[in-house]
Amino acid sequence: MTLAVAIMLTVITAATPLLIAAIGELVTERSGVLNLGVEGMMIMGAASGVAVAIVTGSSILGVLAAIGAGMALAAIFALLTLGLAANQYASGLALTIFGLGLSGVIGAPFVGVQREGIRRITIPWLSDLPVIGPILFRQDPFVYGSILLVVGVSWFLWRSKAGLILRACGENPVSAHALGYNVLRIRLYAVLFGGACAGVAGAYLSLVLTPFWTAGMTAGRGWIALAIVVFASWLPLRAMFGAYLFGGLIILQLHAQTAGVAVPSQFLAALPYLLTIVALTLIMAWRRGSGAGSIAPAGLGQTFTPDR
Amino acid sequence: MNLNRRHILTGATALAASTALPRYALAADPMKVGIVLIGPVGDFGWSTMHDVGRRRMEEVLGDAVETTQIEAVAPPDFDRVVTQLVRADCKLIFTTSFSYFQPTIRMAEQFPDVMFENATGTSTLPNMAIYNARFYEGRYLQGVIAAMKSQTKQIGYVAAFPVPEVIHAINTVMRGAWSVDPEMRIRVVWANAWFNPGVEADAARALIDQGCDILCQHTDSPAPLQLAEERGIYGFGQASDMTRFAPRSHLTSSINNWGDYYASRAQAMIDGTWAPEDTWGGLDSGMFALAPFTNMTPEETAVAENVVAGLRSGEIDPFAGPIVNQAGETVIGEGETLTDDEIRAQNYFYQGIEVSMPG
Repeated sequence: MTLAVAIMLTVITAATPLLIAAIGELVTERSGVLNLGVEGMMIMGAASGVAVAIVTGSSILGVLAAIGAGMALAAIFALLTLGLAANQYASGLALTIFGLGLSGVIGAPFVGVQREGIRRITIPWLSDLPVIGPILFRQDPFVYGSILLVVGVSWFLWRSKAGLILRACGENPVSAHALGYNVLRIRLYAVLFGGACAGVAGAYLSLVLTPFWTAGMTAGRGWIALAIVVFASWLPLRAMFGAYLFGGLIILQLHAQTAGVAVPSQFLAALPYLLTIVALTLIMAWRRGSGAGSIAPAGLGQTFTPDR
Repeated sequence: MNLNRRHILTGATALAASTALPRYALAADPMKVGIVLIGPVGDFGWSTMHDVGRRRMEEVLGDAVETTQIEAVAPPDFDRVVTQLVRADCKLIFTTSFSYFQPTIRMAEQFPDVMFENATGTSTLPNMAIYNARFYEGRYLQGVIAAMKSQTKQIGYVAAFPVPEVIHAINTVMRGAWSVDPEMRIRVVWANAWFNPGVEADAARALIDQGCDILCQHTDSPAPLQLAEERGIYGFGQASDMTRFAPRSHLTSSINNWGDYYASRAQAMIDGTWAPEDTWGGLDSGMFALAPFTNMTPEETAVAENVVAGLRSGEIDPFAGPIVNQAGETVIGEGETLTDDEIRAQNYFYQGIEVSMPG
């Protein structure tokens, strides 16, 4: 296996949790809800996933538990912001802090417990192809799942009626409501979907990437996922590009270090956020020039209370 | 007794009330010892091993001591926690992180009647001792074993921060490796964290992909060793015996062992012989031990045991001259050796170590 292939493989595993969480948040934000609690939902998924997998001995049950935990946290967020029309920014931040704390309590009995990670799926014959074999046909189930997720969400948002309605709720909730759509219910589904994705991303960390539990193991990946959504200007395929770009930066920096190149690693750690700002600035400058409006869903971050 | 911060607040109030009563049976009272931990007891590394040490002290001294341990204390909370321990009548307080070194000096000056001990600090006060173990001896041995085991002649080193403790460890690993095979090379990745399993694992992947077939780690999680197991190469454990994380890859671990030191220091307090010492114990002191060698041939084990004996007796001095730095300048010549203070301040790599400090 050549070095380039090895680097590609590592980039894919580093990018996959970012991608899954970003796609979930993208759908949530397309419905007009900004959930800053990705980090909290992600780490709850990591803790619950590894806890259930250890207790039951089943990785599948672990992943299901992670989905459940992510959705449970998302449901709390939905209760606050949709049910009680609380401020989305404050509720999301609270969710992150809550998730980081609660996950520590859930994970405490499992600190240092060793567990076999989820294995890769090797597709016979195809995986023996040079270069593309190991990259495309020898991956863990999450990697395949994340690609399907991107394709599925793309199709859903732009090729299905339900997707159009969901985007309408994000662009103009008042009009969507006037047309007879239940904006709050649609937003609830979107928030729960975001929670489920964040949970799976967390499970990927604790069941595949580093198969054990430690407190705070998401280490800021939820925030990078949030940045990716903005970087991608709310488009799933661009989010995929963003996730692989940011994942690639992390890995290339490590390789540069092993080769003895002096790299300012603190600067590289800040690069995803910096790139997001640059991308956003460029897109906005271009759109202003052409007379188009903002690229963000127009109703993003605003609470909506249907008039009765 | 293992308390968190909230419990001790209520406990401190109760104790403050009880100390107001006349104390008739002073001699029979257990001496109270406080311990402040930087991480959670369950970090499976540094703080776990200090907790093991505390329990060993209780086992040795029995009813003569009573310990109060507070875990996961961030440096900003340190002063308050120590003040509470002092109010709770602790006479001897162990502060177990270099991050607590300056705060401990401050508290020692504020409470001259309480004796403090700081792990890995660099200077003492009349009521403040410092203690550390010569972990670099274990690093030298890791270098020797790595040179025997490596096919690609490249050691991968997952490092935390470019502080002297880590820098002299990297230098010492290579000293050990070169004693077997002068062709040995090292690659280093700075994880910029003592504990971040995801980054540690990615760093290990990068090192292995670059051709390293032995992993040393100077970070606390078992992630790099697990990666070594997954990729079928060899690695060393950190802080505690990590054999079970990598049954086919683990060679040995340096196991921190503070218990006997804690017991002897508490005993000295009881006897009234405590002095603010600067303790830096090596393999011969028992302050750290090595996990049983695994996945090594009898010949390799014999060489390793020889090196251990040499380090114990002082026959092998990892910091003997000549030492030449990366820039080619001679630091000390033949026949000289670095002093403890010079080792503690080491901020340069040796010639032949093609590693840059992170920017």
